[in-house]
Amino acid sequence: MNIFFHEFKSYLKSAGIWSVAIFLIILIYFSAFNTIAVEAEDITRLMSSFPEELLIAFGMNNMNFGTLLGFFGAVFLFCQICLAIQASNYGFSMLSIEERELTADFLLPKPISRGKILTAKLLAAFLALTVTNLSVWVSSFFVINLVRDGRDYDTNALVMVLGTVVIFQLFFLAVGMVISLLMKRVRSVIPLSMALAFGMYILNIFGNMLGENTFEVISPFTQFDPNYIINNGSYNYPLAMISVSVILIAIPASYLLYQKRNVASAV
Amino acid sequence: MRIYFRELKANFKSLLIYCGIVVFFVVVGFSKFSGYAENPEILQVLDAMPAAMLDSFNMNAFNLTTVVGFFGVMYAFMGLILGIAAVMWGSDIISKEERDKTVEFALTLPVKRSTLITAKTAAAFTNCLILALVTWGMNWVVAGNYNPDQEYYRFLTQGMTVLVLLQFIFLSIGVFLGSVMKQHKRAGSVAISILLGTYFLSVIAGLKEEWDFLKYLTPFKYFDPSLILHESRIEPVYLWISLGIIIVSLAGAYITYSRRDLYI
Repeated sequence: MNIFFHEFKSYLKSAGIWSVAIFLIILIYFSAFNTIAVEAEDITRLMSSFPEELLIAFGMNNMNFGTLLGFFGAVFLFCQICLAIQASNYGFSMLSIEERELTADFLLPKPISRGKILTAKLLAAFLALTVTNLSVWVSSFFVINLVRDGRDYDTNALVMVLGTVVIFQLFFLAVGMVISLLMKRVRSVIPLSMALAFGMYILNIFGNMLGENTFEVISPFTQFDPNYIINNGSYNYPLAMISVSVILIAIPASYLLYQKRNVASAV
Repeated sequence: MRIYFRELKANFKSLLIYCGIVVFFVVVGFSKFSGYAENPEILQVLDAMPAAMLDSFNMNAFNLTTVVGFFGVMYAFMGLILGIAAVMWGSDIISKEERDKTVEFALTLPVKRSTLITAKTAAAFTNCLILALVTWGMNWVVAGNYNPDQEYYRFLTQGMTVLVLLQFIFLSIGVFLGSVMKQHKRAGSVAISILLGTYFLSVIAGLKEEWDFLKYLTPFKYFDPSLILHESRIEPVYLWISLGIIIVSLAGAYITYSRRDLYI
């Protein structure tokens, strides 16, 4: 329990900063909504005259900036980038920080098994991510209601989009953790987490530019594409299962790897 | 000089990784381009898009169905990748000594602290140059499949020259942060927040007319690719701002690092 609280306390500040950042992103984007919406409504009408295949090729068939949720889909992508960086930051640093700061010498001789240490750390990181997750929920509803101006939106679809956040975070947390355990030594966390988060993001962009599903399906950005969920009213289950199974493999693998890890020490 | 070569060697792996990312990015990007190439229908769709949206993706002013236009769109992403590399190298190259606890050793060498910074900055800048050259070469080679005209090569060369300037801005901001931040651990995360923050600003600046002034705050907006393409120049005011940022950051780095209380 001590480890859990200690860890959670060390995450609080960072989780708070990320939450505020995400709130600001949503707020700033939506404050431009009313300007864009007027213009976009004309465009939507115009675009419906184009052949469907062409729009699919652009990933534009499900883009509709004129509606609250259509716009939210675009904004949410930026939130996803932030969430991905935050979660992979936590994942990469969670266990490697003890070796980097030479505090593993202090932690590991304590009368607790490594499994328990990992559990406590994992739960603390997850709780910190949940704080940010909550902030995403609250900010989204708050800001959308602030700018809706009498427009209606489908609450159900919004809830479904926001519901993906938890899996999205767990994916980056678990993958980051497992990679940090596979590496012999993690010198600094940020380049790694940037590479993971942005790598997945760029894969998704390429996927959107021409809608053929190749290797971009491994990217959670593609699996939890907000536009898909908003337009279809359901998750893209086959793709979402990829993330879920990655999480289900990565976490037990981390326990195994951590049990056997040759932890670097000061002496 | 020795520090310079030593740093080059130490950062070689990271350079290779970034080069790999760029190569991958260009190859995959151009393979996607083959779907756009000389497809007039796509042009029609693009014409119909809202200006604000195209602006935020930097897609207006370019004809996506030509190599030149496609490169113009990819340009923003390349700027982002090269910017990330520069700001990471800049902040890391100074702060890693304290992180890896090698600073005691480095500073007992008979060199001034300012010489150390010069050598390290030069090494990081060399890496930036190499990365930009690789990006330039990749775009040169891969685009060859699409028979680009002379204009493309001119645009490519000028565009990449400007990206080097962008890299240098972020590099000097990174070096500055590495020297100034009291907690060396923070340097990297602050550097990245600045990079991401300015990137978001550059996207936001295009959304609404009243927010146009934001473009002065983000280096990503300083070098408008369409201006480079059509008039082969950049706005002089941005050039001065860039030089200002570089000089202030580097001067700040030299001054603060020479009186820095090192964490040992």
